[in-house]
Amino acid sequence: MASPMELFIWRGDWGLPSVHTDSLTALAYARFAGAPLKVHKLSNPWRSPSGTLPALKTEQGLCLQPLQMLEYFKKQGYNADYRLSVKESADTLAFISLINEKLLPALIYTFWVDAKNYVSLTRPWFANTIPFPLSLYLPNRLHERHLEQLQLRLGSQALNSEEETEAQILDEASECLTLLSQRLASQSFFFGDSPSSLDAVVFGHLAPLLKAKLPNSKLQQHLQLLDNLCGFCNTVLSLYFPTEHTDTVSDTRRSAAPCETDEDPHKRRNQVLSVLVGLVAMLGYAFLSGILSIKRVSARGALPAANRLTEEGDEEE
Amino acid sequence: MSIAHDVLFSQMAAAEPWPENAMLYQPLKGEQILLSDNASCLAVQAFLRICNLSVQVVHRANAEYMSPSGKPPFIHVGNHVVSELGPIVQFAKAKGHSLSEGLDEVQKAEMKAYMELVNNMLLTAELYIQWCDDSTSSKITRSRYGSPYPWPLNHILAYQKQWEIRRKMKAIGWAGKNLEQVYEDVDQCCQALSQRLGNQSYFFNRQPTELDALVFGHLFTILTTQLTNDALSEKVKNYENLVKFCRRVEQNYFEELDHESRLSPTSRSLRDTPPK
Repeated sequence: MASPMELFIWRGDWGLPSVHTDSLTALAYARFAGAPLKVHKLSNPWRSPSGTLPALKTEQGLCLQPLQMLEYFKKQGYNADYRLSVKESADTLAFISLINEKLLPALIYTFWVDAKNYVSLTRPWFANTIPFPLSLYLPNRLHERHLEQLQLRLGSQALNSEEETEAQILDEASECLTLLSQRLASQSFFFGDSPSSLDAVVFGHLAPLLKAKLPNSKLQQHLQLLDNLCGFCNTVLSLYFPTEHTDTVSDTRRSAAPCETDEDPHKRRNQVLSVLVGLVAMLGYAFLSGILSIKRVSARGALPAANRLTEEGDEEE
Repeated sequence: MSIAHDVLFSQMAAAEPWPENAMLYQPLKGEQILLSDNASCLAVQAFLRICNLSVQVVHRANAEYMSPSGKPPFIHVGNHVVSELGPIVQFAKAKGHSLSEGLDEVQKAEMKAYMELVNNMLLTAELYIQWCDDSTSSKITRSRYGSPYPWPLNHILAYQKQWEIRRKMKAIGWAGKNLEQVYEDVDQCCQALSQRLGNQSYFFNRQPTELDALVFGHLFTILTTQLTNDALSEKVKNYENLVKFCRRVEQNYFEELDHESRLSPTSRSLRDTPPK
């Protein structure tokens, strides 16, 4: 552990350390296990060494899957699961599968497919977060990728009418939330008093759903009815991410003027870029329409009779 | 199945008793069915037998295309066509046949979670080995999958299916795995199931549930299917209680019915090692 591990994740918002499920899972587990991490909160996935987020840079290379990251943390001796009995480890695996099969499709649906949410929350968030030239391309790319993922997960069922599919996905997810709530019961974490990898996975999936301001929030409403799950998310936030949690208040206050400090360099660059683009366009128009023209003035032909405008144009160039 | 169907089930299906002429459709047993499909079909058969609901098993080459969800098997009961284990369990429940009534809330949650574990890891691993392992897919899977169709079509359909499965693997993050890692996942899953089962006869004490049917379907198929090598079945054989569990279900629910339903093709298919 000469050099600390580096974790690259999507940057946070809505009072969360990251808005992205996989990023949150990995980060939460690292906090639970007390692994020393250098966390890079990025708004541009191309800055990560793999080109995708999240990514864990280790001495042996890159980990991209959140579950692989958990495995790696365990191998490094940062194990939050060491107290679990074999049966509890088996349960962990089973519930992670349940979340993966039932809840994840609904999350993708809620954030990326549902037209209202996508247009008024997800897309603007990513378009505003990702820096300028990429923000024209990456949100669409992410959207396509999520749609494809959902379609492949559902198989040919997706060919049925959209309403049926929607109802089915959300129904299964609500059932999954209820099951989780029943399993958690009145404990503070899933296996007793301290968090384990299952807690990290559940937190990663539920926190964005709970905290995002979704306009169309069927699943969110169902989650809000399950008090113990909401309480669980807030406990994890306040115990393991105290800074982000207190940020919430100030965040909502200045949400009208989004984070000047973070975005300042990009803003300046964007301003310069837009002025340049404007200038090029104006000059281009001027040349094309003949308002300006460049004449090569040889030494002998340098007559004062040459067009006044031309001279000015030349000097500018 | 959809909500609309669920509502239909509960309103209409409840009134009618289970008919005599219920039918279960699955792909051709001898030369076509694949490991993963066989596992799903066997799981459904086991569930229906545990519920003591009679069905006639029908083998059709195009069962996959007849199924409303695009995956075999499916049952045809009265006016209803229902595919895959989850919806079939729901359907049977609407008719008043349920195996998980006696469980409390937490146990039900655990049962659902373990069922997803089997679907998420065992089923995906079976698909991976079938379609993404080059030697298995070229020696076994593609030729079996295309076997009912004439020459150019058999290759076209098989490659199309393979392409589809590989895209799916990519979407769920399995594309980067190699065969060893997949076997490791299977091992992990079996270990979890074995721990959960312990010394009990069934996963939730003495009474089998739909989880038992699902686990039986997958493990029994893995144990009795000949692939290019034995690596997959060896992983399951390491867990003695799982192997015993499979024998137990087979004895209790498939062999005792044997003499009654000698005509049913399923009883034979379980005695013999299913080919492939």
